[in-house]
Amino acid sequence: MKKLLSLFQASLMALPLSLAVQMNATAKDLKDIKIAVIPKVAVPFFDDCNNGAKAEADKLGVQYQWVVPQNTQGSTQVRILEDLISKKVDGIAISVNEPKSVEAAIKKAMASGIKVLTFDSDSPNSGRSMYIGTINSAAGETMGESMAKAIGGEGEVAIITGQLGAVNLNERIDGIKKSLAKYPKIKIVATEGTEDDLAKAVSVTETIFRGHPALKGIFGVSQVGGPAVSKVMATKEFGAKKGAVKVFAFDDLPDTIKGVKEGYIQGIMVQRPVTMGKLSVEHLVDQITGKEKSPKNVDTGVNVVNSQNLDSYTK
Amino acid sequence: MEVGSTSPSRWSALSLPRVLLGLLRAQEMSVLLALLLVSAGIALVTPYFLTTDNLMGVFRSFSLTAIMSVGMVMVIVTGGIDLSVGSVMGLSGLVTALAFQNGFPTVVCVSFGLGVGFVFGLTNGLLVTAGRLPPFIATLGTLSIGRGLMYIVTRGVPVTPDTPEVFNAIGQGYVGLVPAPVIIMLVLATAFSVIMRFTTFGRHVYATGGNEQAAWLSGVNTSRVKLVVYTLAGAISAIAGIVAFSRYLSAEPASGFGIELDVIAAAVIGGASLSGGVGSVQGAILGAALTGIIANGVVLMNINTYAQQTITGGVILIAVSIDVWRHARKER
Repeated sequence: MKKLLSLFQASLMALPLSLAVQMNATAKDLKDIKIAVIPKVAVPFFDDCNNGAKAEADKLGVQYQWVVPQNTQGSTQVRILEDLISKKVDGIAISVNEPKSVEAAIKKAMASGIKVLTFDSDSPNSGRSMYIGTINSAAGETMGESMAKAIGGEGEVAIITGQLGAVNLNERIDGIKKSLAKYPKIKIVATEGTEDDLAKAVSVTETIFRGHPALKGIFGVSQVGGPAVSKVMATKEFGAKKGAVKVFAFDDLPDTIKGVKEGYIQGIMVQRPVTMGKLSVEHLVDQITGKEKSPKNVDTGVNVVNSQNLDSYTK
Repeated sequence: MEVGSTSPSRWSALSLPRVLLGLLRAQEMSVLLALLLVSAGIALVTPYFLTTDNLMGVFRSFSLTAIMSVGMVMVIVTGGIDLSVGSVMGLSGLVTALAFQNGFPTVVCVSFGLGVGFVFGLTNGLLVTAGRLPPFIATLGTLSIGRGLMYIVTRGVPVTPDTPEVFNAIGQGYVGLVPAPVIIMLVLATAFSVIMRFTTFGRHVYATGGNEQAAWLSGVNTSRVKLVVYTLAGAISAIAGIVAFSRYLSAEPASGFGIELDVIAAAVIGGASLSGGVGSVQGAILGAALTGIIANGVVLMNINTYAQQTITGGVILIAVSIDVWRHARKER
């Protein structure tokens, strides 16, 4: 009797085991796929990325997690990547703060079978499958050309950027410098970093205005430039700069759009963060399910927005 | 009590459970309890917490805070505070990176980094003792100088030199399953735990903080104690900075920014009193572990990362309140 019972018990145990083996043999169910998206830090630009990514994740039916670093230090994103590796997510999309420090973590993630791509800000030597974002050098060149036209090919200009170590921002600056090389009478008199912090950017802008009274143009290479310059030009001290100093900014934050409407800003390079988010999730899922075998970088492009086409562009 | 006696009765009093319990006195017990409760909570919600990889990763990520808290506890016990640990950590890493960039051998680069910590620590100590500056002001000054130097030298751009594998092993290597930074943390914690509890110097540190006048009148050279303690804190922060650079291979100007609050929190959660005389290295390590595990749990459990600081703050308040409540009960 005992022997019969144990045989029965053994066969009962074998049943779920064989089912499990069968389940592993089929591809992973969409609803079991876990996607995590990591922006640089909590600034409005990435809210658009989140919206695009979440919408796509909901559409495909995959699990979605949005993890925001509390500061722009490389070590913070490394820690998040490691926690996600522990959590065995299936795909990670990250906009990188500091390209070198995340290389080891990204490689480790990929070695453990997680698909990793970068969006908006790249870590080129990390072995990630692809980069989705703006071709920043081209955007920078367009900005440079627009400025050169606006100030008549000569004068002093200044560049206000976010983190001085960010790859995407520096590519934009390189683009600007490349296009301005054609105009020897245009001089870049200052390049200042702000960590994308608004208070810091306002302070930096004021200092630039005071230090270079003959300034004719400002490039806001990161998303903080538009709001900062608008706020400074709206004050009594610098009110005269409005219109006299041409401003070209990046990203269509509400304050920046307002800046265009009120004449503080002459043009905005608007990226497509919603598209970046959407494509990040889409490509990750395709790579996880095996549909996409040789990923290539995607250029999400920029719109040049000024007072004329303010109401008619897509992101 | 006979000196040097090794009779059987004395040894049996040192049984393992008693030693362990003796090591973790009352104030650390409540932190340990909080730690176990939080860990159990996370483990119940997600199966990925109690895996070797994850736990080792968590230990490694809070090891930097824990390493620096060893020095911080000693400073706090003397009744002082060291706000500059973050800047010293960052600057030491940066100097090490620059040394590598200029082609110096590993030992020289590491020495330069340690030297920075030593110099800043000594400066803090001199400002507090000979300069008679309040520690808050003195270390606030060195914090700003250190951070400023980092931005001046790097001009905002991280330094990313090539480094030999031997050096990378400090931050990225393993001894068996255990990451190297965790080993470094354990070694430092054990060493200074023993120093604080079982050596004359340790007793002098507690005496200086408990009642500086009385200690001075009893023959303790309180100035020298403080000088040593601040210098040690600086050197230990430099160790953390070198380990951090070895891990990330990128010396950012913002490295270590704000970490002094985490380090002070770790020490205080572990039982250190900001008025001096009370605190322990073991407690500080547990305090660092608590905040580190919460950060890990937030990502594993898919909690809104904005809530992380709020949760950490709440857990800290609860852990410290339990301890205060127990003290109040004892005194009744």
